[in-house]
Amino acid sequence: MHPLPEHAARTRRDFLATSANGVGLLALASLLKDDGRLTAADAPSPLAVKPPHFAPKAKNCICIYLEGAPSQLDLFDPKPKLNELHGQKLPESFTKNVRFAFLQKETAVVLGSPRKWTRHGQCGMELSEFLPHLGSVADDICLVRSMHTEAFNHHPGQLLMNTGSTMFGRPSMGSWLAYGLGSESKDLPGYVVLNAGRGTSGGTSNWGSGFLPSTYAGVLFRNQGEPVLNLGNPAGLSDAMQAKTIEAVRDLNGVRHAAVGDPEIDSRAAAYELAFRMQSAAPELIDLSKETRKTLDAYGLDRPEPDVKAARGGGKGQFRAFAANCLLARRLVERGVRFVSLFHASWDHHSNLEVELPHNARMADQPVAALIKDLKQRGLLDSTLVLWLSEFGRTPLGENRGGSTNVTGRDHHPSCFSVWAAGGGIKGGQVVGETDEIGWNVTKDPVHVNDLQATILHLFGLDHLKLTYKFQGRDFRLTDVGGKVVKKLLA
Amino acid sequence: MPRLRLLPPAALLAVAAGYPAAADPPKKADLPPATVAKVDFDTDVRPVLAAHCFKCHGPDKQKGGLRLDTRADALEGGNGGKVIVVGKSADSRLVHAVAGTDPDAKMPPDGAAALTAAQVGVLRAWIDQGAKWGDQAGPAAGVGAKSSHWAFQPITRPAVPAPGGHPVDAFVLARLKKDGLTPSPVADRATLLRRVSLDLTGLPPTPAELDAFLKDTSADAYEKAVDRLLASPHYGERWGRHWLDSARYADSDGYEKDTGRPFAWRYRDWVIKALNADLPFDRFTVEQLAGDLLPGATAEQKIATGFHRNTLTNKEGGVDQEEFRIAAVVDRVGTTGKVWLGLTVGCAQCHDHKYDPVSQREFYQLFAFFNSDREADIDAPLPGDDERLKKEQAAFAAERAKLEAAVAEAKEKQLPAAELKKREQALAALPKRAPAASKAMTLALGPTRPTHVLLRGDFLRKGVEVKPGTLGVLPKPAGPPATRLDLANWLVSADNPLTARVTVNWVWAKFFGRGLVATPEDFGTQGEKPSHPELLDYLASEFVQPTWRAGSLRALHRLIVTSATYRQSSAVRPETLRRDPSNVLLARQARPRLEAEIVRDNALAASGLLNPTVGGPSIRPPQPPGISELTYANAARWVETTGPDRYKRGLYIWFQRTSPYPMLMTFDTPDSNVCVVRRERSNTPLQALTLLNDAVFVESAQALAKRVLTEKPDGTAADRAGYLLKLCLCREPAAAEVARLVALQGDLAKLAAADPKGAAALLGKHAPAGVPVAEAAAWVATARAVLNLDEFVTRE
Repeated sequence: MHPLPEHAARTRRDFLATSANGVGLLALASLLKDDGRLTAADAPSPLAVKPPHFAPKAKNCICIYLEGAPSQLDLFDPKPKLNELHGQKLPESFTKNVRFAFLQKETAVVLGSPRKWTRHGQCGMELSEFLPHLGSVADDICLVRSMHTEAFNHHPGQLLMNTGSTMFGRPSMGSWLAYGLGSESKDLPGYVVLNAGRGTSGGTSNWGSGFLPSTYAGVLFRNQGEPVLNLGNPAGLSDAMQAKTIEAVRDLNGVRHAAVGDPEIDSRAAAYELAFRMQSAAPELIDLSKETRKTLDAYGLDRPEPDVKAARGGGKGQFRAFAANCLLARRLVERGVRFVSLFHASWDHHSNLEVELPHNARMADQPVAALIKDLKQRGLLDSTLVLWLSEFGRTPLGENRGGSTNVTGRDHHPSCFSVWAAGGGIKGGQVVGETDEIGWNVTKDPVHVNDLQATILHLFGLDHLKLTYKFQGRDFRLTDVGGKVVKKLLA
Repeated sequence: MPRLRLLPPAALLAVAAGYPAAADPPKKADLPPATVAKVDFDTDVRPVLAAHCFKCHGPDKQKGGLRLDTRADALEGGNGGKVIVVGKSADSRLVHAVAGTDPDAKMPPDGAAALTAAQVGVLRAWIDQGAKWGDQAGPAAGVGAKSSHWAFQPITRPAVPAPGGHPVDAFVLARLKKDGLTPSPVADRATLLRRVSLDLTGLPPTPAELDAFLKDTSADAYEKAVDRLLASPHYGERWGRHWLDSARYADSDGYEKDTGRPFAWRYRDWVIKALNADLPFDRFTVEQLAGDLLPGATAEQKIATGFHRNTLTNKEGGVDQEEFRIAAVVDRVGTTGKVWLGLTVGCAQCHDHKYDPVSQREFYQLFAFFNSDREADIDAPLPGDDERLKKEQAAFAAERAKLEAAVAEAKEKQLPAAELKKREQALAALPKRAPAASKAMTLALGPTRPTHVLLRGDFLRKGVEVKPGTLGVLPKPAGPPATRLDLANWLVSADNPLTARVTVNWVWAKFFGRGLVATPEDFGTQGEKPSHPELLDYLASEFVQPTWRAGSLRALHRLIVTSATYRQSSAVRPETLRRDPSNVLLARQARPRLEAEIVRDNALAASGLLNPTVGGPSIRPPQPPGISELTYANAARWVETTGPDRYKRGLYIWFQRTSPYPMLMTFDTPDSNVCVVRRERSNTPLQALTLLNDAVFVESAQALAKRVLTEKPDGTAADRAGYLLKLCLCREPAAAEVARLVALQGDLAKLAAADPKGAAALLGKHAPAGVPVAEAAAWVATARAVLNLDEFVTRE
């Protein structure tokens, strides 16, 4: 119809010839003289690919975030001593200087962890009976049992893990990577967020861009209906009409560009082009009909969901939603999306842990293991960092909120918790860090949240001290004022 | 119980990651012995302190709030408390610090030469012998911080450079001339009217206003338009929304539970009214910070204190209420510092400010102004409330009588137990619906709380007690300040150079897309230097001149928008783009994208849907499904507002902190968790999708098409396309633009004709009478294209 350059030039001449803006004619004449310079749509996109500081191992990241703090004592960090001490009080030296959210420390007693633990893979990684599938990829995983944080309420804890600080207004990890490396995806945003379960208590601040331009914010895709808000045309407006519309908008913006010469108009034009491409790319992305039955079954999309009352985990339908998100994450990475955040809420088992934790674990275990195998089989695991994170851990003491003697859960525990990473330059098949006999404190190789973040950036070829953004006169970074790369994690 | 093999306590403490209580006293065993002989302060002690301590704990710096060069200060100690116990050197933290036996504080710190055992012995002996001072008593205590940084210097009114004329232009031209740049020509009249209308009211001119302005050939036509706009009730809405960013206004608590705040809007409406009344800026300040403390405070003055009720509230289970009370007070201090002083005082919460002369102790002196406040939800009747209450109470009484009768009947007639229970429950549930007076969220004075420096900002680690006090680097208040009212009066006192500079800069940035100081949130040493320091000071001195409508924001706005600098064309000229890409020197106007709320307002205004009613409870326009489901347990259910309120302006949209209205967030409305004085301005595909497909914009396109077809019933396609462009862009379009739009409409009409069902759907509720469906639908899609033009969302 209207190949843009010729058309724009023609429209522009028409515009100049017929402009009713008499006052602007002089300026327009000078524009004409400088033809070529101002019409060149060569403003660098903020998402243009930028080189890292040094050769990277990882190109993409899938960050699985289990909101609410899964019990490390029942999943990742075996403590037989707890069963021995079950029902007994701990010496005051343990609890004296520690704060709890709900737990009454005067009367609290140890809660045993009656789990069966199995060694998996060549590395012999011990995982609880709740994670059988994950065991099958133990040799790809680096389990860190020695994480610690200073936040012990959910929202600040989530901010620290996702943005490097408990303060509001900081960019999330994915935003830092988008800012530092740009986006390799032409038809999709560089940073995509998938949600399942109940809302996270941190809300959008967990994937926001903070003080960075919002171009770098995570774009929340949904796993049902439209994957992106407002992606579908209005009722009655066909794709052909949309194409005509986008064309006309581009042409008219071109006329305006000729008149005012603002490079920002080019950015808007580029945004419309991406929006238009997303309208077809995003539905293709979530269309799982081309995936084989074998793949769908491996992720467990159509697994039966046990009939368990587990409102914390978001109610019915989470098994399919979570599995679909894991599969979508792989599809996003295949399409060049830099950072995929996958949130599920909630694992905040203050009570009813014996029922709800295995339920949640069952939901996550199979799809997450399938994701790792799938990435590996497709040759994507080497360049894709997969993370399993949360904000803190849970107490060896049972939670006796309000002096209750009916103890069925654990309270928040920031002093130690477990996370794991796989792929993207991570040395799999190992356990880093140790905790004491009852899982109260780290005894070997402590890893602070900021250390983990420094390591993640390192895998992407970025020096966490150099990836900075000047705001309010200070050079801010993801790792705030801390962080050191944990060499043991690196392959 | 069986013996546990435990870690040694020290190891436990070290890895307990974060929450040690006040440090245990260090051990005494390892200290070097005190010198046996009698020591003299001037010959023995002062040289040691001077060589090792005064650099950080002397006249220039008082790290940790500790100063050792005067006796009074040294004995008072630092933020952590006393460091010298007279007569007991082994109990003195000073001695342990320099001897290296205090694991928390080894002094001097890393890298500096440590004291010898003999020197420590001298200090011990001096303390044991009474810590006497010598003849040189040292300077008087309490000398404030000094700074040569420009922002802290008093404002002297600069002379307007030759050749004079409009002062703003004189300063700007002088600077341009220095750099060999020339200003841009004045923008054409239509652009100018749209620009100033958007800047002063946030609404575009109507076609009638535009035509009248274009016809008005009088010399002061523009000034008359400015005065009309400044007098518009929408002026308070426009500037109120700017201020609400600073006030981190929202309609919910934030954090996990994010409970709604159904009366938060009372503060928002106070702001609108105050600005429409042109409340002088000093009163505007005082009423918001301390309206409740004014003699005979009115309900409105109390409502003004809602400014600091916009802090977050954490109702998450198990939180320490004191921790989050303190978090709110910290936010009040930080926000006050940022909004009025342009300083990042919040940086001093945990340690002395790294760059600016704000000590941690001063932070807590500011904190003390707010520390005894309580959050008070007061009855704040609205006009007509009495009548409403009377009516509602009558209805309520009738309802209660009915329910009571029903229960009595059930008992009397011995109805089945289930029925009786049902009726009793209905009665018991009634009080929840009792009519209530309108309320407002305010700040009020509570019982006095002592304020302590919180070591490293940790609310469990209390340091020394402090009294309310202002920043030492700025002029002192007349008497010792004690209350929020004293603080507010100090902020707006004539000697304080920061409030005026910061405020006029904040205003300037809204008109030019960039402040004279490009970091309106930071006037400290790490902020940008002013591009036009004399202009900044000129405006600041005008703003506080007692003879010149002191503190009138409206007068300041008028001064700025009547300048030629403001009226320049925003077209980018190659030579200025090359030499001044960020347009710091103002050789042209800026082309900022409109703010989120104004994008909405413009679509509604162009389409004629806009309900221009000022004020009232917040509204919930349509939003895509699945948004409020993201909140905690779906707590914030989004029940769409029906009726005309649905079409009110963007600043009235209910702001739910954990699931904000997506359109606002997509267009960079701040998340309202913290104070923001400068908005981001992004340009993303999600904005494109919102303007193309969001229900509000689709409905605007439908109504806009109907408006064009109804108001141009016999027009040609070109007439209609031209009118459509004029309604949206507020100028006469060029022929090429009209032609392109006509071509689009033709293409769309063909497509619509092939799909009659789709065409009917596209018309929605706004089908115009007497126009064929396919043609009307094509106009809807054409109108939608215009709402997506860069120019439509840009202040040219």
